[in-house]
Amino acid sequence: MKSISLYEEKGSVLNKIAPESKILYIVAALVIPYLIGSRWVSLGFIIASILLLLSAKVIRKTVPILGVSGFVLITVLLIQGLFRAGNVTPILSLGPVVFYKEGVNFALGIVINVLNILLSFCVLILTTKPSDMIENFVRKGFSPRFGYVFISIFQIIPQMTETMATITDAQRSRGMETEGNLFIRVKAFIPLISPVVMSSLINTKERALALEVRGFNSTIQKTFLNDEKKIPADKWIQLGMVVAIVAAIVFRIVLVVMYFM
Amino acid sequence: MARIEIEHLKYQYPATTKLALDDISFSVEPGEFIGIIGKNESGKSTLCQAIAGLVPNFYKGSYGGKVMVGEIEVKTVEVNEMCKTVGIVFQNPFNQVTGSKLTVYEEISFGLENMGIPKVEMIKRIDEAMELLDIIKYKDRNPFDLSGGQMQRMAIASIIAMQPEVIILDEPTSQLDPQGREEVFQAVQKLSKKGITIIMVEHNMEKIAQYSDRVVLLNDTKLVAIDTPQKIFSRDDLDSFGVEAPVFTKICRGLHLKNEETGCYPVTLEEASRLFQRLVKEESHNE
Ligand SMILES: Nc1ncnc2c1ncn2[C@@H]1O[C@H](COP(=O)(O)OP(=O)(O)OP(=O)(O)O)[C@@H](O)[C@H]1O
Ligand SMILES: [Mg+2]
Repeated sequence: MKSISLYEEKGSVLNKIAPESKILYIVAALVIPYLIGSRWVSLGFIIASILLLLSAKVIRKTVPILGVSGFVLITVLLIQGLFRAGNVTPILSLGPVVFYKEGVNFALGIVINVLNILLSFCVLILTTKPSDMIENFVRKGFSPRFGYVFISIFQIIPQMTETMATITDAQRSRGMETEGNLFIRVKAFIPLISPVVMSSLINTKERALALEVRGFNSTIQKTFLNDEKKIPADKWIQLGMVVAIVAAIVFRIVLVVMYFM
Repeated sequence: MARIEIEHLKYQYPATTKLALDDISFSVEPGEFIGIIGKNESGKSTLCQAIAGLVPNFYKGSYGGKVMVGEIEVKTVEVNEMCKTVGIVFQNPFNQVTGSKLTVYEEISFGLENMGIPKVEMIKRIDEAMELLDIIKYKDRNPFDLSGGQMQRMAIASIIAMQPEVIILDEPTSQLDPQGREEVFQAVQKLSKKGITIIMVEHNMEKIAQYSDRVVLLNDTKLVAIDTPQKIFSRDDLDSFGVEAPVFTKICRGLHLKNEETGCYPVTLEEASRLFQRLVKEESHNE
Protein backbone atom coordinates (compact mmCIF):
# COMPACT_ATOMS: atom_id res chain seq x y z
CA MET A 1 0.00 0.00 0.00
CA LYS A 2 1.31 3.39 -0.95
CA SER A 3 1.52 5.96 1.76
CA ILE A 4 2.43 9.58 1.36
CA SER A 5 4.45 9.30 4.53
CA LEU A 6 8.18 9.31 3.74
CA TYR A 7 9.05 7.82 7.08
CA GLU A 8 10.89 4.53 7.30
CA GLU A 9 11.90 2.69 10.46
CA LYS A 10 15.67 2.15 10.50
CA GLY A 11 16.25 1.67 14.21
CA SER A 12 18.44 4.79 14.35
CA VAL A 13 18.73 7.22 17.25
CA LEU A 14 16.76 9.75 15.24
CA ASN A 15 13.93 7.20 14.99
CA LYS A 16 13.90 6.91 18.76
CA ILE A 17 14.07 10.49 19.97
CA ALA A 18 10.99 12.59 20.61
CA PRO A 19 9.48 14.31 17.55
CA GLU A 20 9.42 17.52 19.58
CA SER A 21 13.22 17.49 19.73
CA LYS A 22 13.38 17.33 15.94
CA ILE A 23 10.82 20.10 15.60
CA LEU A 24 12.92 22.28 17.89
CA TYR A 25 15.91 21.46 15.70
CA ILE A 26 14.02 22.81 12.67
CA VAL A 27 13.14 25.97 14.57
CA ALA A 28 16.77 26.41 15.59
CA ALA A 29 18.05 25.75 12.06
CA LEU A 30 15.72 28.39 10.60
CA VAL A 31 15.81 31.04 13.30
CA ILE A 32 19.42 31.10 14.47
CA PRO A 33 21.04 31.90 11.08
CA TYR A 34 18.48 34.65 10.57
CA LEU A 35 19.14 36.17 13.99
CA ILE A 36 22.89 36.01 13.64
CA GLY A 37 22.66 37.13 10.04
CA SER A 38 25.41 34.91 8.69
CA ARG A 39 25.38 32.52 5.81
CA TRP A 40 28.05 30.45 7.54
CA VAL A 41 25.66 29.54 10.31
CA SER A 42 23.18 28.23 7.74
CA LEU A 43 25.98 26.30 6.15
CA GLY A 44 26.81 24.85 9.57
CA PHE A 45 23.21 23.68 9.97
CA ILE A 46 23.24 22.20 6.47
CA ILE A 47 26.30 20.16 7.39
CA ALA A 48 24.69 19.17 10.70
CA SER A 49 21.51 18.05 8.90
CA ILE A 50 23.53 16.01 6.41
CA LEU A 51 25.42 14.32 9.24
CA LEU A 52 22.14 13.59 11.05
CA LEU A 53 20.56 12.18 7.91
CA LEU A 54 23.65 10.04 7.30
CA SER A 55 23.51 8.70 10.85
CA ALA A 56 19.83 7.85 10.35
CA LYS A 57 20.65 6.05 7.07
CA VAL A 58 18.06 8.06 5.14
CA ILE A 59 20.29 10.39 3.13
CA ARG A 60 19.37 8.58 -0.10
CA LYS A 61 15.73 9.52 0.37
CA THR A 62 16.64 13.19 0.17
CA VAL A 63 17.87 12.73 -3.42
CA PRO A 64 14.46 12.95 -5.12
CA ILE A 65 13.50 15.90 -2.91
CA LEU A 66 16.75 17.73 -3.64
CA GLY A 67 16.49 16.74 -7.30
CA VAL A 68 13.27 18.63 -7.85
CA SER A 69 14.34 21.72 -5.94
CA GLY A 70 17.88 21.48 -7.37
CA PHE A 71 16.49 22.16 -10.82
CA VAL A 72 14.75 25.30 -9.61
CA LEU A 73 17.83 26.44 -7.68
CA ILE A 74 20.09 26.07 -10.71
CA THR A 75 17.65 28.17 -12.70
CA VAL A 76 17.76 30.84 -9.99
CA LEU A 77 21.56 30.76 -10.05
CA LEU A 78 21.65 31.15 -13.83
CA ILE A 79 19.11 33.94 -14.05
CA GLN A 80 20.50 35.95 -11.14
CA GLY A 81 24.11 35.38 -12.22
CA LEU A 82 23.35 36.60 -15.73
CA PHE A 83 20.69 39.25 -15.39
CA ARG A 84 20.38 40.55 -11.83
CA ALA A 85 20.09 44.33 -11.69
CA GLY A 86 23.28 45.70 -10.15
CA ASN A 87 25.50 43.06 -11.73
CA VAL A 88 28.86 44.80 -12.30
CA THR A 89 31.73 42.47 -11.44
CA PRO A 90 32.14 39.69 -14.01
CA ILE A 91 33.57 36.45 -12.59
CA LEU A 92 33.13 34.05 -15.47
CA SER A 93 32.56 34.56 -19.15
CA LEU A 94 31.72 31.88 -21.67
CA GLY A 95 31.87 33.71 -25.00
CA PRO A 96 29.09 36.29 -24.97
CA VAL A 97 27.61 34.88 -21.74
CA VAL A 98 28.88 36.64 -18.63
CA PHE A 99 28.27 35.68 -15.01
CA TYR A 100 28.44 38.46 -12.44
CA LYS A 101 29.61 38.23 -8.85
CA GLU A 102 26.69 40.16 -7.30
CA GLY A 103 23.99 38.02 -8.89
CA VAL A 104 25.74 34.73 -8.12
CA ASN A 105 26.29 35.89 -4.56
CA PHE A 106 22.62 36.78 -4.13
CA ALA A 107 21.52 33.48 -5.65
CA LEU A 108 23.90 31.53 -3.41
CA GLY A 109 22.15 33.07 -0.40
CA ILE A 110 18.84 31.73 -1.68
CA VAL A 111 20.31 28.31 -2.43
CA ILE A 112 21.78 28.00 1.06
CA ASN A 113 18.54 29.06 2.71
CA VAL A 114 16.44 26.66 0.69
CA LEU A 115 18.83 23.76 1.27
CA ASN A 116 18.87 24.51 4.99
CA ILE A 117 15.07 24.51 5.16
CA LEU A 118 14.69 21.35 3.09
CA LEU A 119 17.35 19.35 4.89
CA SER A 120 16.26 20.28 8.39
CA PHE A 121 12.66 19.31 7.54
CA CYS A 122 14.01 16.06 6.10
CA VAL A 123 15.57 15.31 9.48
CA LEU A 124 12.07 15.33 10.96
CA ILE A 125 10.02 13.89 8.14
CA LEU A 126 12.23 11.02 7.09
CA THR A 127 12.73 9.70 10.60
CA THR A 128 9.37 10.30 12.30
CA LYS A 129 6.22 8.23 12.13
CA PRO A 130 3.43 10.81 11.63
CA SER A 131 1.22 9.09 14.21
CA ASP A 132 4.00 9.22 16.83
CA MET A 133 4.31 12.94 16.35
CA ILE A 134 0.57 13.58 16.57
CA GLU A 135 0.13 11.23 19.52
CA ASN A 136 2.76 13.15 21.41
CA PHE A 137 0.83 16.35 20.72
CA VAL A 138 -2.42 14.73 21.87
CA ARG A 139 -0.70 13.66 25.08
CA LYS A 140 0.23 17.29 25.61
CA GLY A 141 -3.41 18.39 25.23
CA PHE A 142 -3.85 18.74 21.47
CA SER A 143 -7.38 17.75 20.35
CA PRO A 144 -7.62 14.04 19.47
CA ARG A 145 -10.10 14.91 16.71
CA PHE A 146 -7.65 17.18 14.93
CA GLY A 147 -4.98 14.63 15.61
CA TYR A 148 -7.07 12.01 13.87
CA VAL A 149 -7.58 14.20 10.82
CA PHE A 150 -3.86 14.87 10.48
CA ILE A 151 -2.87 11.24 10.80
CA SER A 152 -5.59 9.76 8.63
CA ILE A 153 -4.80 12.14 5.77
CA PHE A 154 -1.55 10.25 5.27
CA GLN A 155 -3.48 7.06 4.57
CA ILE A 156 -6.72 8.26 3.12
CA ILE A 157 -5.32 10.45 0.34
CA PRO A 158 -3.46 7.54 -1.29
CA GLN A 159 -6.66 5.54 -0.93
CA MET A 160 -8.66 8.21 -2.73
CA THR A 161 -6.07 8.32 -5.49
CA GLU A 162 -6.58 4.61 -5.87
CA THR A 163 -10.37 5.00 -6.11
CA MET A 164 -9.78 7.60 -8.77
CA ALA A 165 -7.50 5.23 -10.67
CA THR A 166 -10.06 2.44 -10.44
CA ILE A 167 -12.81 4.67 -11.79
CA THR A 168 -10.54 5.97 -14.55
CA ASP A 169 -9.82 2.38 -15.54
CA ALA A 170 -13.51 1.61 -15.56
CA GLN A 171 -14.28 4.63 -17.73
CA ARG A 172 -11.44 3.76 -20.09
CA SER A 173 -12.66 0.19 -20.43
CA ARG A 174 -16.01 1.64 -21.44
CA GLY A 175 -14.27 3.43 -24.26
CA MET A 176 -13.59 6.80 -22.67
CA GLU A 177 -10.50 8.60 -23.99
CA THR A 178 -8.37 9.54 -21.01
CA GLU A 179 -5.07 10.19 -22.69
CA GLY A 180 -4.05 12.80 -25.17
CA ASN A 181 -4.12 16.57 -25.24
CA LEU A 182 -5.38 18.79 -22.47
CA PHE A 183 -8.84 19.14 -23.96
CA ILE A 184 -9.34 15.38 -24.12
CA ARG A 185 -8.11 14.98 -20.57
CA VAL A 186 -10.41 17.64 -19.21
CA LYS A 187 -13.33 16.13 -21.08
CA ALA A 188 -12.48 12.72 -19.61
CA PHE A 189 -12.20 14.19 -16.14
CA ILE A 190 -15.72 15.58 -15.94
CA PRO A 191 -17.63 12.28 -15.80
CA LEU A 192 -15.14 11.16 -13.15
CA ILE A 193 -16.07 13.93 -10.78
CA SER A 194 -19.52 12.76 -9.87
CA PRO A 195 -18.69 9.13 -9.01
CA VAL A 196 -15.60 10.17 -7.10
CA VAL A 197 -17.38 12.89 -5.18
CA MET A 198 -20.44 10.72 -4.57
CA SER A 199 -18.42 7.76 -3.41
CA SER A 200 -16.32 9.90 -1.11
CA LEU A 201 -19.41 11.51 0.39
CA ILE A 202 -20.99 8.14 1.10
CA ASN A 203 -17.70 6.81 2.39
CA THR A 204 -17.29 9.81 4.64
CA LYS A 205 -20.69 9.23 6.24
CA GLU A 206 -19.99 5.56 6.74
CA ARG A 207 -16.55 6.25 8.16
CA ALA A 208 -18.03 8.80 10.57
CA LEU A 209 -20.50 6.16 11.80
CA ALA A 210 -17.78 3.56 12.16
CA LEU A 211 -15.60 5.96 14.14
CA GLU A 212 -18.52 6.98 16.31
CA VAL A 213 -19.25 3.42 17.40
CA ARG A 214 -15.64 3.04 18.41
CA GLY A 215 -15.91 5.79 20.95
CA PHE A 216 -14.32 8.50 18.81
CA ASN A 217 -16.24 11.27 20.54
CA SER A 218 -15.65 9.92 24.00
CA THR A 219 -14.74 12.54 26.57
CA ILE A 220 -12.95 10.02 28.77
CA GLN A 221 -9.20 10.56 29.17
CA LYS A 222 -7.70 8.66 26.24
CA THR A 223 -5.05 5.96 26.77
CA PHE A 224 -2.37 4.93 24.29
CA LEU A 225 -1.27 1.54 23.01
CA ASN A 226 2.15 2.85 22.06
CA ASP A 227 4.49 4.32 24.63
CA GLU A 228 5.41 7.94 24.27
CA LYS A 229 8.26 8.34 21.82
CA LYS A 230 11.18 9.79 23.79
CA ILE A 231 14.58 8.98 25.26
CA PRO A 232 16.20 10.37 28.41
CA ALA A 233 18.50 12.57 26.34
CA ASP A 234 15.51 14.39 24.82
CA LYS A 235 15.34 16.74 27.80
CA TRP A 236 18.92 17.82 27.19
CA ILE A 237 18.54 18.06 23.42
CA GLN A 238 15.50 20.28 23.79
CA LEU A 239 17.16 22.35 26.48
CA GLY A 240 20.22 22.75 24.25
CA MET A 241 18.10 23.94 21.33
CA VAL A 242 16.20 26.42 23.44
CA VAL A 243 19.44 27.77 24.97
CA ALA A 244 20.95 28.16 21.49
CA ILE A 245 17.89 30.01 20.20
CA VAL A 246 17.79 32.28 23.25
CA ALA A 247 21.52 32.95 22.89
CA ALA A 248 20.97 33.94 19.27
CA ILE A 249 18.16 36.29 20.29
CA VAL A 250 20.40 37.86 22.94
CA PHE A 251 23.20 38.19 20.37
CA ARG A 252 20.82 39.96 18.02
CA ILE A 253 19.58 42.35 20.68
CA VAL A 254 23.13 43.16 21.72
CA LEU A 255 23.98 43.77 18.05
CA VAL A 256 21.07 46.14 17.61
CA VAL A 257 21.80 47.98 20.87
CA MET A 258 25.48 48.37 19.91
CA TYR A 259 24.47 49.70 16.52
CA PHE A 260 22.38 52.46 18.05
CA MET A 261 24.95 53.43 20.68
CA MET B 1 -26.33 -10.39 30.11
CA ALA B 2 -28.55 -7.86 28.47
CA ARG B 3 -32.00 -8.51 27.13
CA ILE B 4 -33.13 -6.27 24.29
CA GLU B 5 -36.63 -4.91 24.43
CA ILE B 6 -38.14 -2.78 21.70
CA GLU B 7 -41.53 -1.20 22.34
CA HIS B 8 -43.54 0.66 19.70
CA LEU B 9 -40.45 2.07 18.05
CA LYS B 10 -41.19 4.69 15.41
CA TYR B 11 -38.58 6.68 13.61
CA GLN B 12 -38.25 9.19 10.81
CA TYR B 13 -34.96 10.48 9.42
CA PRO B 14 -34.57 14.26 9.41
CA ALA B 15 -35.71 16.00 6.21
CA THR B 16 -37.77 13.01 5.08
CA THR B 17 -41.54 12.74 4.87
CA LYS B 18 -41.99 9.07 5.56
CA LEU B 19 -41.37 6.81 8.56
CA ALA B 20 -38.32 4.55 8.31
CA LEU B 21 -39.57 2.36 11.18
CA ASP B 22 -43.23 2.10 12.01
CA ASP B 23 -44.34 0.74 15.38
CA ILE B 24 -41.81 -2.05 15.88
CA SER B 25 -42.04 -4.18 19.02
CA PHE B 26 -40.17 -7.36 19.91
CA SER B 27 -37.58 -8.60 22.37
CA VAL B 28 -34.38 -10.62 22.17
CA GLU B 29 -33.06 -12.94 24.86
CA PRO B 30 -29.39 -12.85 25.88
CA GLY B 31 -27.26 -15.09 23.66
CA GLU B 32 -29.81 -15.40 20.88
CA PHE B 33 -28.85 -15.30 17.21
CA ILE B 34 -31.36 -13.11 15.40
CA GLY B 35 -31.49 -12.82 11.62
CA ILE B 36 -33.10 -9.76 10.08
CA ILE B 37 -34.58 -10.10 6.59
CA GLY B 38 -36.72 -7.98 4.31
CA LYS B 39 -36.51 -6.39 0.90
CA ASN B 40 -34.58 -3.22 0.08
CA GLU B 41 -35.51 -0.11 2.07
CA SER B 42 -37.66 -2.14 4.46
CA GLY B 43 -35.85 -0.61 7.43
CA LYS B 44 -33.31 -3.29 8.34
CA SER B 45 -30.35 -0.95 8.70
CA THR B 46 -32.40 1.63 10.51
CA LEU B 47 -33.55 -1.00 13.01
CA CYS B 48 -29.93 -2.09 13.57
CA GLN B 49 -28.84 1.47 14.16
CA ALA B 50 -31.74 2.03 16.55
CA ILE B 51 -30.45 -0.79 18.74
CA ALA B 52 -26.92 0.64 18.63
CA GLY B 53 -28.17 4.14 19.48
CA LEU B 54 -27.04 5.78 16.22
CA VAL B 55 -30.75 6.24 15.66
CA PRO B 56 -31.61 8.79 16.96
CA ASN B 57 -28.41 10.05 18.61
CA PHE B 58 -26.25 10.30 15.50
CA TYR B 59 -28.91 11.11 12.90
CA LYS B 60 -31.36 13.07 15.11
CA GLY B 61 -34.83 12.97 13.46
CA SER B 62 -38.15 12.17 15.12
CA TYR B 63 -38.33 9.22 17.42
CA GLY B 64 -41.05 7.51 19.37
CA GLY B 65 -41.28 4.43 21.57
CA LYS B 66 -38.50 2.85 23.51
CA VAL B 67 -35.48 0.61 23.02
CA MET B 68 -33.97 -0.97 26.13
CA VAL B 69 -30.72 -2.95 26.21
CA GLY B 70 -30.45 -4.44 29.69
CA GLU B 71 -31.00 -1.54 32.05
CA ILE B 72 -30.05 1.09 29.48
CA GLU B 73 -32.59 3.12 27.55
CA VAL B 74 -30.73 3.53 24.27
CA LYS B 75 -32.05 6.99 23.38
CA THR B 76 -30.77 8.52 26.62
CA VAL B 77 -27.18 7.36 26.29
CA GLU B 78 -24.53 8.88 24.02
CA VAL B 79 -23.20 6.71 21.20
CA ASN B 80 -19.69 6.67 22.63
CA GLU B 81 -21.12 5.23 25.86
CA MET B 82 -23.57 2.87 24.16
CA CYS B 83 -20.81 1.24 22.13
CA LYS B 84 -19.52 -0.47 25.28
CA THR B 85 -22.70 -2.56 25.39
CA VAL B 86 -23.76 -2.81 21.74
CA GLY B 87 -21.21 -3.15 18.94
CA ILE B 88 -22.09 -2.69 15.29
CA VAL B 89 -20.29 -3.83 12.15
CA PHE B 90 -21.18 -2.30 8.78
CA GLN B 91 -21.35 -3.46 5.20
CA ASN B 92 -18.22 -1.96 3.71
CA PRO B 93 -15.10 -3.21 5.49
CA PHE B 94 -12.99 -0.55 3.83
CA ASN B 95 -14.94 2.32 5.39
CA GLN B 96 -14.51 0.85 8.83
CA VAL B 97 -10.73 1.18 8.72
CA THR B 98 -9.90 4.28 10.77
CA GLY B 99 -6.99 5.24 8.53
CA SER B 100 -5.03 6.50 11.50
CA LYS B 101 -3.24 3.29 12.37
CA LEU B 102 -0.41 1.60 10.49
CA THR B 103 -0.94 -2.01 11.56
CA VAL B 104 -3.85 -4.37 12.16
CA TYR B 105 -2.75 -4.65 15.77
CA GLU B 106 -2.88 -0.88 16.30
CA GLU B 107 -6.14 -0.62 14.37
CA ILE B 108 -7.89 -2.86 16.89
CA SER B 109 -6.64 -0.61 19.70
CA PHE B 110 -8.50 2.44 18.34
CA GLY B 111 -11.73 1.92 20.27
CA LEU B 112 -9.90 0.81 23.40
CA GLU B 113 -7.76 3.95 23.44
CA ASN B 114 -10.88 6.07 23.16
CA MET B 115 -12.47 4.14 26.01
CA GLY B 116 -9.43 4.84 28.17
CA ILE B 117 -8.57 1.16 28.70
CA PRO B 118 -5.15 0.80 30.42
CA LYS B 119 -2.37 -0.47 28.17
CA VAL B 120 -1.92 -3.89 29.83
CA GLU B 121 -5.63 -4.67 29.59
CA MET B 122 -5.65 -3.32 26.03
CA ILE B 123 -2.95 -5.73 24.89
CA LYS B 124 -4.78 -8.65 26.49
CA ARG B 125 -8.03 -7.77 24.75
CA ILE B 126 -6.39 -7.21 21.35
CA ASP B 127 -4.66 -10.57 21.53
CA GLU B 128 -7.92 -12.32 22.46
CA ALA B 129 -9.87 -10.61 19.70
CA MET B 130 -7.24 -11.45 17.08
CA GLU B 131 -7.19 -15.05 18.23
CA LEU B 132 -10.98 -15.30 18.06
CA LEU B 133 -11.17 -13.83 14.55
CA ASP B 134 -8.09 -15.76 13.42
CA ILE B 135 -6.15 -12.74 12.22
CA ILE B 136 -3.00 -13.03 14.33
CA LYS B 137 -0.98 -13.72 11.20
CA TYR B 138 -1.83 -10.28 9.83
CA LYS B 139 -0.89 -8.50 13.07
CA ASP B 140 1.79 -6.28 11.54
CA ARG B 141 0.18 -5.69 8.15
CA ASN B 142 -1.18 -2.36 7.05
CA PRO B 143 -4.99 -2.51 7.52
CA PHE B 144 -5.54 -1.39 3.92
CA ASP B 145 -3.42 -4.28 2.61
CA LEU B 146 -5.88 -6.97 3.73
CA SER B 147 -8.41 -8.78 1.56
CA GLY B 148 -12.07 -7.90 2.05
CA GLY B 149 -12.74 -10.90 4.27
CA GLN B 150 -9.66 -10.25 6.38
CA MET B 151 -10.53 -6.58 6.66
CA GLN B 152 -14.07 -7.36 7.77
CA ARG B 153 -12.74 -9.80 10.37
CA MET B 154 -10.44 -7.05 11.59
CA ALA B 155 -13.47 -4.74 11.86
CA ILE B 156 -15.29 -7.39 13.90
CA ALA B 157 -12.21 -7.91 16.09
CA SER B 158 -12.05 -4.16 16.71
CA ILE B 159 -15.61 -4.28 17.99
CA ILE B 160 -15.18 -7.52 19.95
CA ALA B 161 -12.19 -6.06 21.78
CA MET B 162 -14.54 -3.47 23.25
CA GLN B 163 -16.38 -6.42 24.84
CA PRO B 164 -19.99 -5.56 23.98
CA GLU B 165 -22.78 -7.90 25.04
CA VAL B 166 -24.58 -7.54 21.73
CA ILE B 167 -23.04 -7.47 18.26
CA ILE B 168 -25.01 -6.21 15.29
CA LEU B 169 -23.81 -7.03 11.79
CA ASP B 170 -25.47 -5.16 8.93
CA GLU B 171 -24.87 -7.17 5.74
CA PRO B 172 -21.25 -7.81 6.72
CA THR B 173 -20.61 -10.14 3.79
CA SER B 174 -22.44 -8.45 0.93
CA GLN B 175 -19.29 -6.79 -0.44
CA LEU B 176 -17.07 -9.83 -0.08
CA ASP B 177 -16.07 -12.65 -2.42
CA PRO B 178 -17.33 -16.17 -1.58
CA GLN B 179 -14.22 -17.04 0.39
CA GLY B 180 -14.37 -13.82 2.39
CA ARG B 181 -18.03 -14.51 3.12
CA GLU B 182 -17.31 -17.95 4.45
CA GLU B 183 -14.53 -16.56 6.68
CA VAL B 184 -16.91 -14.03 8.16
CA PHE B 185 -19.72 -16.53 8.71
CA GLN B 186 -17.32 -18.87 10.51
CA ALA B 187 -16.21 -16.01 12.72
CA VAL B 188 -19.75 -14.92 13.55
CA GLN B 189 -20.70 -18.46 14.44
CA LYS B 190 -17.76 -18.60 16.84
CA LEU B 191 -18.92 -15.39 18.55
CA SER B 192 -22.41 -16.78 18.89
CA LYS B 193 -21.05 -19.95 20.54
CA LYS B 194 -19.33 -17.71 23.09
CA GLY B 195 -22.74 -16.50 24.22
CA ILE B 196 -22.69 -13.05 22.63
CA THR B 197 -26.09 -11.91 21.36
CA ILE B 198 -25.91 -11.63 17.56
CA ILE B 199 -28.20 -9.60 15.35
CA MET B 200 -27.40 -10.00 11.69
CA VAL B 201 -28.88 -8.59 8.49
CA GLU B 202 -28.16 -10.97 5.63
CA HIS B 203 -29.50 -11.61 2.15
CA ASN B 204 -28.33 -15.21 1.96
CA MET B 205 -31.37 -17.10 3.27
CA GLU B 206 -29.52 -20.42 3.51
CA LYS B 207 -27.17 -18.82 6.01
CA ILE B 208 -30.00 -17.11 7.89
CA ALA B 209 -31.77 -20.46 8.17
CA GLN B 210 -28.62 -22.23 9.25
CA TYR B 211 -27.57 -19.85 12.03
CA SER B 212 -30.58 -17.95 13.36
CA ASP B 213 -32.52 -18.92 16.44
CA ARG B 214 -35.22 -16.53 15.32
CA VAL B 215 -35.79 -14.37 12.27
CA VAL B 216 -37.17 -10.84 12.13
CA LEU B 217 -39.14 -10.24 8.92
CA LEU B 218 -39.54 -6.58 8.03
CA ASN B 219 -41.62 -5.19 5.22
CA ASP B 220 -42.01 -1.56 4.27
CA THR B 221 -40.85 -0.22 7.66
CA LYS B 222 -43.15 -2.56 9.63
CA LEU B 223 -42.50 -5.75 11.55
CA VAL B 224 -44.30 -8.65 9.85
CA ALA B 225 -43.19 -11.38 12.21
CA ILE B 226 -40.46 -12.60 14.50
CA ASP B 227 -40.29 -16.37 14.68
CA THR B 228 -38.15 -19.47 14.07
CA PRO B 229 -36.64 -19.74 10.57
CA GLN B 230 -38.95 -22.74 9.95
CA LYS B 231 -42.07 -20.74 10.73
CA ILE B 232 -40.93 -17.68 8.78
CA PHE B 233 -39.83 -19.53 5.65
CA SER B 234 -42.94 -21.73 5.63
CA ARG B 235 -45.22 -18.71 5.33
CA ASP B 236 -47.35 -18.84 2.21
CA ASP B 237 -47.19 -15.07 1.79
CA LEU B 238 -43.37 -14.94 1.80
CA ASP B 239 -43.19 -13.85 -1.85
CA SER B 240 -45.28 -10.79 -1.16
CA PHE B 241 -42.49 -9.46 1.11
CA GLY B 242 -39.87 -9.84 -1.60
CA VAL B 243 -38.13 -12.62 0.31
CA GLU B 244 -37.17 -15.98 -1.15
CA ALA B 245 -37.06 -19.07 1.05
CA PRO B 246 -33.86 -21.19 1.23
CA VAL B 247 -33.61 -23.71 -1.64
CA PHE B 248 -34.25 -26.69 0.64
CA THR B 249 -37.47 -25.10 1.79
CA LYS B 250 -38.52 -24.47 -1.80
CA ILE B 251 -37.83 -28.07 -2.78
CA CYS B 252 -39.76 -29.46 0.18
CA ARG B 253 -42.59 -27.04 -0.47
CA GLY B 254 -42.69 -28.30 -4.07
CA LEU B 255 -42.89 -31.86 -2.78
CA HIS B 256 -45.39 -30.94 -0.02
CA LEU B 257 -43.02 -32.35 2.56
CA LYS B 258 -43.60 -30.84 5.97
CA ASN B 259 -41.79 -31.76 9.15
CA GLU B 260 -44.61 -33.22 11.22
CA GLU B 261 -43.17 -32.15 14.58
CA THR B 262 -43.01 -28.48 13.66
CA GLY B 263 -45.67 -28.37 10.98
CA CYS B 264 -43.18 -26.44 8.83
CA TYR B 265 -41.02 -27.06 5.80
CA PRO B 266 -37.33 -27.84 6.51
CA VAL B 267 -34.99 -24.89 6.09
CA THR B 268 -31.52 -26.43 6.04
CA LEU B 269 -29.87 -29.30 4.20
CA GLU B 270 -29.56 -31.32 7.44
CA GLU B 271 -33.18 -30.87 8.31
CA ALA B 272 -34.33 -31.76 4.80
CA SER B 273 -32.14 -34.84 4.59
CA ARG B 274 -33.30 -36.05 7.99
CA LEU B 275 -36.85 -35.75 6.77
CA PHE B 276 -36.02 -37.63 3.56
CA GLN B 277 -34.29 -40.41 5.47
CA ARG B 278 -37.27 -40.85 7.75
CA LEU B 279 -39.62 -40.97 4.79
CA VAL B 280 -37.47 -43.54 3.03
CA LYS B 281 -37.40 -45.65 6.20
CA GLU B 282 -41.18 -45.45 6.60
CA GLU B 283 -41.61 -46.29 2.93
CA SER B 284 -39.49 -49.44 3.30
CA HIS B 285 -41.43 -50.40 6.44
CA ASN B 286 -44.67 -50.14 4.55
CA GLU B 287 -43.50 -52.48 1.80
N1 LIG C 1 -29.51 8.45 6.27
C1 LIG C 1 -30.76 8.46 5.83
N2 LIG C 1 -31.43 9.61 5.64
C2 LIG C 1 -32.70 9.63 5.22
N3 LIG C 1 -33.43 8.52 4.95
C3 LIG C 1 -32.85 7.33 5.10
C4 LIG C 1 -31.47 7.23 5.54
N4 LIG C 1 -31.15 5.92 5.60
C5 LIG C 1 -32.26 5.24 5.21
N5 LIG C 1 -33.27 6.07 4.91
C6 LIG C 1 -34.64 5.68 4.50
O1 LIG C 1 -35.19 4.87 5.52
C7 LIG C 1 -35.91 3.77 4.97
C8 LIG C 1 -35.33 2.47 5.48
O2 LIG C 1 -34.03 2.32 4.98
P1 LIG C 1 -32.99 1.27 5.50
O3 LIG C 1 -31.65 1.69 5.00
O4 LIG C 1 -33.13 1.08 6.95
O5 LIG C 1 -33.46 -0.04 4.73
P2 LIG C 1 -32.71 -1.42 4.53
O6 LIG C 1 -33.73 -2.46 4.76
O7 LIG C 1 -31.47 -1.48 5.32
O8 LIG C 1 -32.38 -1.38 2.99
P3 LIG C 1 -31.18 -2.10 2.20
O9 LIG C 1 -31.59 -3.50 1.98
O10 LIG C 1 -31.14 -1.30 0.93
O11 LIG C 1 -29.95 -1.95 3.01
C9 LIG C 1 -35.82 3.94 3.47
O12 LIG C 1 -36.98 4.55 3.03
C10 LIG C 1 -34.62 4.85 3.27
O13 LIG C 1 -34.76 5.62 2.11
MG1 LIG D 1 -29.39 -1.65 4.84
